[in-house]
Amino acid sequence: LFQGVRQAQWLTKTKLVEGLPPSVLSIIDNPAHRLEEHEERVKQAISHARLWDTVEPAPKREHYCPVLFEDLIHICRLMSMKYPSLTKRMLSRNYKIAATWERESILLQVRGLNGILMNSMAPIPPVASKEEILATEAHVLETFYPISPTIDLQEVNVYRELNDTGFRDGYPYSHPHTLFFLESANVRTDRFRPEQLRAKMLMFAFGNALAKAKVLYGSDPKVLEQPIVVQSIGTDGQLFQFMVFQLNTTDLVSSDGIKNLVWVDSDQNLYEKAQCIPEVKKRVVTKPAGIYGFQPDTFKKFLALYLHGTV
Amino acid sequence: MAAPGGRRLLWSGRRWLSQAEPAVSPQPPDSPQPPDSLYPPIVASATAKSKAAKQRRLEHFKQRVHTAPSIEEKLRLYGLLQRPKYVVYPQTFALNADRWYQSFTKTVFVPGLPPRTASAAAKAPAAAGVIPAAGTAPQPGAAAPAPTRTAEATAGAAPYPDVRELRALACDALLQESFYQHKRRPVLYRSQEHTPGPFLTQLVSSLVASLCSHNPLLAASSLDLKPEVNYYWHHGEEVVVHGYRKGRIDPVRFQIDDNPHLQIRVPKQLPQVVPLESDLGDVPVIDHKPSKLPLFKRQYENKVFIGSKVADPCCYGHTQFHLIPDKLKRERLVKANLEDQIEVVYRANGIASLFAWTAAQAMYQGFWSEADVTRPFVSQAVVTDGKYFAFFCYQLNTLALTVETIQNNPRKNICWGTKSKPLYDVVEDGSVKGFNDEVFFQLVRFLLNRPKEL
Repeated sequence: LFQGVRQAQWLTKTKLVEGLPPSVLSIIDNPAHRLEEHEERVKQAISHARLWDTVEPAPKREHYCPVLFEDLIHICRLMSMKYPSLTKRMLSRNYKIAATWERESILLQVRGLNGILMNSMAPIPPVASKEEILATEAHVLETFYPISPTIDLQEVNVYRELNDTGFRDGYPYSHPHTLFFLESANVRTDRFRPEQLRAKMLMFAFGNALAKAKVLYGSDPKVLEQPIVVQSIGTDGQLFQFMVFQLNTTDLVSSDGIKNLVWVDSDQNLYEKAQCIPEVKKRVVTKPAGIYGFQPDTFKKFLALYLHGTV
Repeated sequence: MAAPGGRRLLWSGRRWLSQAEPAVSPQPPDSPQPPDSLYPPIVASATAKSKAAKQRRLEHFKQRVHTAPSIEEKLRLYGLLQRPKYVVYPQTFALNADRWYQSFTKTVFVPGLPPRTASAAAKAPAAAGVIPAAGTAPQPGAAAPAPTRTAEATAGAAPYPDVRELRALACDALLQESFYQHKRRPVLYRSQEHTPGPFLTQLVSSLVASLCSHNPLLAASSLDLKPEVNYYWHHGEEVVVHGYRKGRIDPVRFQIDDNPHLQIRVPKQLPQVVPLESDLGDVPVIDHKPSKLPLFKRQYENKVFIGSKVADPCCYGHTQFHLIPDKLKRERLVKANLEDQIEVVYRANGIASLFAWTAAQAMYQGFWSEADVTRPFVSQAVVTDGKYFAFFCYQLNTLALTVETIQNNPRKNICWGTKSKPLYDVVEDGSVKGFNDEVFFQLVRFLLNRPKEL
């Protein structure tokens, strides 16, 4: 998307809030969760993904990005020792989403394979209070006249307006919890830039929430009693973007009224540099191999988003 | 020094000459030892075309590997010389491949699984007491879950896992992959990646997460998806057939390059099943050349790899999961009138993959064919095609398979394995019909395996 998150906001009628919502921050700050113990394991996970995983000296991004993601999810899943309700989650890869909506007489839709989704049996409780939702009424969506908001979207003839969560009815893990996006192309130009990645995350989170809302409450546009919350995390192996999206209304035709909300925490580095081969200047090792600049806060946020909804 | 890097003979010869003087001079005149000779030690030549020279070169190579400063250096020297070698594929269509692989790796195959320790065996029947189908539970108090629960708690072990929950997890994973999720049609001849692959990943990851409270080893484990496992070894002798080295006697070299679907690596080793020197059977002897299997030779890098490099703290293996590819599916073998080869496929996969993994783990600890293992290395594997599961447990007792070291070596590697059994009958209309508890308990028992002190 050209304008990045601003364009996505207009298309999904959303208000942006910087930083993560208070319920997630309270999980991070809660000392009872003891997130510090996992630092050692996270460092091992990063070293494994970036340094030790292949026979070659330095694995490529296509290889280490998914491996890092799998290792971090493995560490998060092992937390179900402490919180038994975490077992009620299921990952699904290669699933397809379809959602359609109208936005000021333009028909938009989100379709296709997106990322890896984590489903849970129980929905995440709404993050924003009622007052905040009502306050969004006053917020005006920013437009970027004269550029039309649909400028770089692909125009396609559709014959079926499809709304599909990707799963059949009766699926026990019916609530989408978190979406994961891995930018793992080797060449930098094939990867999304952080701004575009955030926009992609927003669009797909919105698509998932909308499809779920249409399944739960029907296709009529209305303001939702129980807002639906979907989280998403995007990474390229080093930089992490966190997002919590709350769908308050499916009435998207007009630009007034209650808006949806999104909390974004962008560009969190998990580590500064991963040195695969020791740097040697004039026959003296200046930088031995290892991980430099590890920041534990990023993993704490990852874990907090994972635990959100069950704690 | 005009000695290029690869020719170790030349520089060793020079070093041998120049080291003569320091060996002679620092001899105190009043030492009780006999006076050292003024002449350098008389040993065989290092560069001549003679058997003694070849022997000396071999000894020098072994000395270099023994005194290597680090494990990476040892592995590098071990696989330094590249020559054509037989590439052994664990998943193969060759007939009776499991007997051939047993002879290559000096493995005894014992049908059935090793008897587990009493506490682990009591766990599953005690857990089975929770549900009505108790079967032949040896525990007397298995009917009432409460007394067994207190007995377990006083024994200090973690409370046994809730079987109903685990079974629900397995059924959910199966249903999600095969029924609930909207998927396209499977690509031609790649249907194993479409449903059984994701099902296996989902099943194992959720089971590991739920069982980590009962098995602290799993809490420190590392899960790999589609890792690479390689091992290179020598076994037996042959005459070089053609080329400039024609007529020379060479060791037969083998290389396994394996890609299990899923692998669990742990920081502590699994306990041994039987003592190191036990003899549980005979290794099949095959009089033919390995190329008759069919097995083909290639020359490339000699890799030894367990899934991650030496620096990883999780350097021991716990369980591997293998997925049978589409080429070797049951239906295809039945159509080709090869029903008896179905079990052979599973066994060959189990033996070859587990030998490669355990031997690579042993090499990561510094053992090799000249420095044989001092403790047995144990790992487990589950080979499946999505519906039928076969379980294998391997104990590596010896790495000494080369011609000289195998002569006085009474130890044999042991592999226990089961026949393949279905986990469920059919999935229809959102429910799993005919779920087989026995196979599922065996899987859970495999994942709960841990050293005694934990």
